[in-house]
Amino acid sequence: MTDYIAGGRRLEDVPKTTKATGVPAVQYAVARRTGPPAAWWGMLMLISSEGVLFAAMMGTFFYLRFNDPQWPPKGDPEPKFIIPLIMVAVLSTTSPMMQGAWRAAREGRLMMVRGLLFLALIVQSGYFAYEVTDFGHEIQKTPISNDAYTSAHYVLLAADHAHVFVGILFNLWLIWKFSRGITTYRANALQAITLYWHFVVLLTWAVIGTILSAAVG
Amino acid sequence: MTPPLRFRRWLPLLGLGVVLVLTGCDRQQDTLAPKSHASTDIANLFWWMMGVSWFGLALVVALMIFAWRKAHRRPGHEVKEGEQLGFRVVIGAGIVFPIVLIAALFVIGDIFVIKVTQAPAKDATRMTIVVTGHQWWWEVRYPGTTAVTANEIHIPVRTPVRLEVKTADVIHSFWVPELNRTIDAMPGKRNAIELYADAVGRYRGQCDEFCGLQHAHMGFYVYADPPTVFRRWLANQEKPARTPGGGLAAQGKQAFMTSSCASCHTIRGTSASGYVGPDLTHVATRSTLAALTIPNDRRDLSHWIVDSQAVKPGNQMPNMHLSGDKVKALVAYLEGLN
Amino acid sequence: MAIATPPTPTAAERMHLLETMWEGRPGILGWFTTTDHKKIGLLYFWTTLLLFGAGGAEALTMRTQLAVPNAHVVSPSTYDELFSLHGITMIFFFIIPMTTGAFGNYLLPLMIGARDMAFPRMNALSYWIFLWSGIFLYISFALGVAPNAGWFDYVPLANGHYDPGRNIDFYCLAIIFNGISSTLTAAQFIVTIFKSRAPGMSFNRMPLFCFAFLAASAGLLFALPLLTADTIFLFLDRNVGTHFFDVASGGSAFLWQHLFWMFGHPEVYILIVPAFGIATEIIPAFTQRRVTAFPLVAIAELLVVFIGFGVWAHHMYATGMATITAVFFGAATAMVVIPSTIQVFAWCMTMILGTARFKTPLLFIAGFIFMFVMGGLTGIMFVAIPFDQAVTDTYFIIAHFHYIIFGAAVFPIFGGMYYWFPKVTGKLYFELPGQISFWILFVGTNLLFFPMHIVGLLGMPRRQYTYPANLGWESYNLAETIGGYITAAGILLLLGNLFVSYFRGEEAGPDPWHGATLEWTTTSPPPPYNYAVIPKVSSAYANWDEEDRAEDRRKLATGVLVLQEGHEQVAVTPVDGTLDEIVEMPHDSPWPALLGLSLFLVFSMLVIGKYGVAGCFAIGCVLSLFGWHSKEPQE
Repeated sequence: MTDYIAGGRRLEDVPKTTKATGVPAVQYAVARRTGPPAAWWGMLMLISSEGVLFAAMMGTFFYLRFNDPQWPPKGDPEPKFIIPLIMVAVLSTTSPMMQGAWRAAREGRLMMVRGLLFLALIVQSGYFAYEVTDFGHEIQKTPISNDAYTSAHYVLLAADHAHVFVGILFNLWLIWKFSRGITTYRANALQAITLYWHFVVLLTWAVIGTILSAAVG
Repeated sequence: MTPPLRFRRWLPLLGLGVVLVLTGCDRQQDTLAPKSHASTDIANLFWWMMGVSWFGLALVVALMIFAWRKAHRRPGHEVKEGEQLGFRVVIGAGIVFPIVLIAALFVIGDIFVIKVTQAPAKDATRMTIVVTGHQWWWEVRYPGTTAVTANEIHIPVRTPVRLEVKTADVIHSFWVPELNRTIDAMPGKRNAIELYADAVGRYRGQCDEFCGLQHAHMGFYVYADPPTVFRRWLANQEKPARTPGGGLAAQGKQAFMTSSCASCHTIRGTSASGYVGPDLTHVATRSTLAALTIPNDRRDLSHWIVDSQAVKPGNQMPNMHLSGDKVKALVAYLEGLN
Repeated sequence: MAIATPPTPTAAERMHLLETMWEGRPGILGWFTTTDHKKIGLLYFWTTLLLFGAGGAEALTMRTQLAVPNAHVVSPSTYDELFSLHGITMIFFFIIPMTTGAFGNYLLPLMIGARDMAFPRMNALSYWIFLWSGIFLYISFALGVAPNAGWFDYVPLANGHYDPGRNIDFYCLAIIFNGISSTLTAAQFIVTIFKSRAPGMSFNRMPLFCFAFLAASAGLLFALPLLTADTIFLFLDRNVGTHFFDVASGGSAFLWQHLFWMFGHPEVYILIVPAFGIATEIIPAFTQRRVTAFPLVAIAELLVVFIGFGVWAHHMYATGMATITAVFFGAATAMVVIPSTIQVFAWCMTMILGTARFKTPLLFIAGFIFMFVMGGLTGIMFVAIPFDQAVTDTYFIIAHFHYIIFGAAVFPIFGGMYYWFPKVTGKLYFELPGQISFWILFVGTNLLFFPMHIVGLLGMPRRQYTYPANLGWESYNLAETIGGYITAAGILLLLGNLFVSYFRGEEAGPDPWHGATLEWTTTSPPPPYNYAVIPKVSSAYANWDEEDRAEDRRKLATGVLVLQEGHEQVAVTPVDGTLDEIVEMPHDSPWPALLGLSLFLVFSMLVIGKYGVAGCFAIGCVLSLFGWHSKEPQE
């Protein structure tokens, strides 16, 4: 009677995912569902919204550039090339780490999850600490209130760093939760936050690309 | 079955009434009383669009009235018939018909008419006037001459003039409906439109972009003069200010130069040099003050000098705290600046 | 027929279990901690009505000031605050929260056969943030520093040099604050529509109301960040010394306008598309016919928002852009008309092909179609760029958008209030006062807004606190003011009718209209769990599918898809709607209200320049989020 609604499965086989706690139950539940959970979709919505925000900021950077004959304007330093690229490459390693943690969660390897989350946190925090210090030095030398270039430059960077910071908070929460075991709720959160980190890594590449475009031409 | 018939009889009367009302007599600043080829084209566009629009609205209203009249009572029963007809009407009236009409409008408006309302090429006219918007008055300059005035523009009739607009502070918009569309005065940019008048006359314009407290009182006049009259006017405006003969007017000049008036207003040929307020070299030739807010007569000028904030609250001229005698003298001086 | 009376004793037992599982805390505390979408919808309803009153009072004050030339009812600075607040309030604090927050929240889960939204606590948070953002904005009014540069707040007028007080800082922060609420709501609706539909409700079986809300939510999600970026830049320019809009330092005044209208134009579609959704549900109920050309209408609803992202510069035709740029936007604007004409004729044909009963809700929809077509026709006139350049920023354009907004957004809201009144309250409203309220409103709004076309063509610019006596504008302005008061009277009669009907109306029963959608299958008002059985859906007009409803009653007796073991809800695959998992929903929680308050404190500190303290409160927000997520739904 109810086959049509369960995609050919029996109704009894539809997993009660939130009830699943502990490794085997969660593994079973997550394997049985066909699509990502609502948490992942919600994160996709957040990413879309933030993506448009950054598109606006990057668009602003280029719009102001095409209004200005010289970019960066006189008195503003050209952006550094090597170190920012190295740093964003370092941050990029967080992506496979988070993806690995999610995969480990699906396979029920809790220690691997904890380890990878912890490793990712170290990379992310190290990146963030360096960037914030560098930002502080830069803004002391070349204040944000110089001109439109510095305005767009620093706001774009600050927004990116803020999103990395939020990601670090996400990871701290995940580490705390996974230290107490696994539930589908936590696995869903890990899946969603992994998506967030993929977004942040791509975003940072886009932001650095925008910043460095000022050195070209 | 009578409502549709009665409705149909009203329609032409309604249309006529609208037309009469809109083309009313003795109006100023009226988009539908055009006095140049650009504004005539715009007005004609409007009349056509309005005609077609009334037809469109009548069609939709007729459909709804028809639905009302046609309904017979069959409670709680889902109606299934007529889907193909409905689909066809939606495609025909909802897609095909609008596409045709709108495409026509686009071609007429955005390919043809737009040619007359866009900025004229720099070498297409023999005269350029530069207008700068301030909070809340208009500075008018005639490049190639020394003429500077405020809130009044004179052009020779039936002569295309390039009018450039810029701003000294916030965004303003130069709009004289009977002669052309509006054009924004944007910071960091110089925009232009053509100013052309078919007939001799006075055309009222106003700032058309909210620019602060006294946006409502930022009007101006465009005078289209016969060529000789225009030349005489321009020549006069180029001259430095008249020196007062003596008596009250001379005292007024003295008062002007020694008080803070001279730091905000320029009177060419004297030591008064300021750019916060309008150039007053020939202020007596202007018909109004404060951007069309008050007439330029003795009583209003006195009141303005004594307490401009009461006339135009928030404007840039502070209360001068001058004695009655000083004001009389100043007014006598300013009245002589023609 | 509804599952109002349980068919068997075991069925009654199941329903009782569901009731205990889903009912919230009683009393005032229950309202502060609720995650029930219906309660949240009601909270939104009352709050937006209050703010509508504020916006209306602003409008009436302005109209009183403009009734005669050179009046002194209010000062120029007060008038500037009034028209700015009026626009901001009506758009961000009335239409969006009323359509999405009140109607959307209450009805969306019911229409898709769900027990609640996908993220119930986040839903509550949306409301609390909305409430506090409204309080935040009106604190500025109480302090005499309300925004005063218009709802679109152009620079340089709005920058720190020309507007030195706190007014624009309140503007920027209120917009950002309110934007968080709407963004969360938009994300909520999209995920709920994708994941929480009743099994079997594939996309082509989803009611048109849901398509409309999906379109509006996607619009909000992609448009709001543009405004957020713009207002962040302005706040920074004003308070931190950046130069985004400062021409002298390489900035651009055009930048503000571009970002603003890239948000602003989609915003106007976001305003009216939910109202289209309301109209497309009232019409089937009162014509007893499925909407003609369903797939075209569904696509049109999505398309109008999508194309709406490409037309923004038609708000900037007077700024001196190159002709070719203007013509491009003219062409895009021409395209955006078509989805609307599709819908107008689909509605009219449905009314003709069905059996139209012009009860109050359908009367309001007829009025809506009339006014939408009026406003739409003047909108089509703006395809002709020279004409737009002649009447931009005049009362002609005020007429245009008020016909659209009042006619195409507010009339369906009023119609929807009448239509769903029986469902929400369980009582019928009084029909005759309802019809009278419609006619008073129709006459009032046309008297108020029609003369604006004329007076705009006669040269009256907008945003003037007064006007001179010799330009022929007086009689039109007076007529408009009278129309404004008549409109207010109509609104008061409407609200009064609903108020009295709540206490004195007849019992409505579950389905007084023989409506088409799922909410009419359950009791009036619905129980906290909405549906005792997750409904079987074979079409977008589920209440008219008798066999499915009979099958649901059988399922209740046998316990299939009743999901009474916990706070349970289904999750489906996004496109086909096949059942994918069964999830536990969170219970009532105090965290959303607490987080809303913390955010208010953050914004309050920001607006007075105390950034350090704001940072501390932000840490408080983070801690609230940790607290929120410490208890999982299954615990």
